[in-house]
Amino acid sequence: MTNYRHFEPKALFEERMKKLIPDYENWFQINKEKPINSIRCNTLKISPEALKEKLEKKGWKISQPYKSFLEIMIVESKLLPGELGNSEEHLLGYYYVQEISSMMPILALAPKPGEIILDLCASPGSKTTQLAMYMENQGTIIANDRDLDRIKILSANLQKNGVSNCVIARNDAVQLCEKLKKSGFLFDKILTDVPCSGEGTIRSSPKTFLMWNIKMINKLSRQQKKIASSALSILKTGGELVYSTCTHAPEENEGVVNQLINKFNVKLEQINLPVKTRPGILNWENENFDKSLKLACRIYPQDNNTEGFFLCKLRKEK
Amino acid sequence: MQAEERKMKILNSTEKKKILEQLEQFGIEKLNYLLFQTGKEKIRGYSGNLSIQEINMLARTIRVEIIGLYLFKQDLGLRLSLDATQILKPSKKIINTNDIQAQSWLKGEDLNITTNQQGFVIIKHNQDFLGSGKSAGNLILNFIPKERRLK
Repeated sequence: MTNYRHFEPKALFEERMKKLIPDYENWFQINKEKPINSIRCNTLKISPEALKEKLEKKGWKISQPYKSFLEIMIVESKLLPGELGNSEEHLLGYYYVQEISSMMPILALAPKPGEIILDLCASPGSKTTQLAMYMENQGTIIANDRDLDRIKILSANLQKNGVSNCVIARNDAVQLCEKLKKSGFLFDKILTDVPCSGEGTIRSSPKTFLMWNIKMINKLSRQQKKIASSALSILKTGGELVYSTCTHAPEENEGVVNQLINKFNVKLEQINLPVKTRPGILNWENENFDKSLKLACRIYPQDNNTEGFFLCKLRKEK
Repeated sequence: MQAEERKMKILNSTEKKKILEQLEQFGIEKLNYLLFQTGKEKIRGYSGNLSIQEINMLARTIRVEIIGLYLFKQDLGLRLSLDATQILKPSKKIINTNDIQAQSWLKGEDLNITTNQQGFVIIKHNQDFLGSGKSAGNLILNFIPKERRLK
């Protein structure tokens, strides 16, 4: 069996990353390390204090790296393979195994009880369950995905986490937005965590290095532009949309958001996150992006010992 | 997910009242959910803020698969799901288990416990609700779903 931990990036990939990331060597080195074990306490079922006490009783060493977000925990102890996903507390839905950078889009969206929120590409449900938790099961989430197998995973995760304010829908993302637009159904907030090339997840899936190719990035970029544009059409005036990916490719990030800025009356908002972020880039491959894209957040694995992410928040203007 | 799962019927106030009457045996007095029956037996609860009209409009407009949380199953009595026991926190018909019994229960095993409680009971270990079981004399039958069992 091929050991994907020993990989060599493709030449074009390396060239692009060196151009994009000034400390490329640090980025490359941390991607050889396995990711840390991070979890999110499910406050719909248990308090962070009670969960921490339970896990420490098992002998796990738990840290809570962010004072304002005690639900975010790191299991510092060395665990056996599968131990995190097969513990009693996990089976009871007391925590969700979630990478810290993947928790950031929901912190940026800052959901509140009573809001109507669309999670457009929802499966497997890490961010949907996080939404429901901060909404205290009040308001409504419409969690959509296209594929039945992915819907089954989403449904199982929502059940395990005790989510009761969610409508699960199975539709193509663009078609769903078109249909809702026709019926006049609008949202306070929308999460578009779109399918992407996954350059930020190399620590957990090193095979991304092998699958990577530039054609795929360009194809995904076109798809992402369609999805994000459709989503904006069903956002209320004054509403907020978070666009996020787990990739570094500017074509899938700033390139997509730049088109939204040009096409719609939207404004990028400042985001305050508990992790170190770097600003969005303003030009790539001879294309200049809107200056406000510096408000976008690039999360690099070497800055926080996490995986990589991109996110930004757009507000729809009158 | 079966096709019939998608066929959802909203329970009316009389039907909801009947469910509440059955829940009294577990010490549950309130049920702040819009209830849906899916298939023949499963009842789901939606705690969101959409009206029935809005839900119906959504279901006509897009392909809706599931709404809310699976709470109960009508199975010669009302059987609470694992997650319903954790969220609704029943106070009656509770069977308290010790560490060893709780581990066996979470592995999907029936418990050798004699109780005078009849029908469905709630399994608890310290402060943790561990779902429902069915009392059968000196045995409590296990209903922990396969995918939620300890391996």
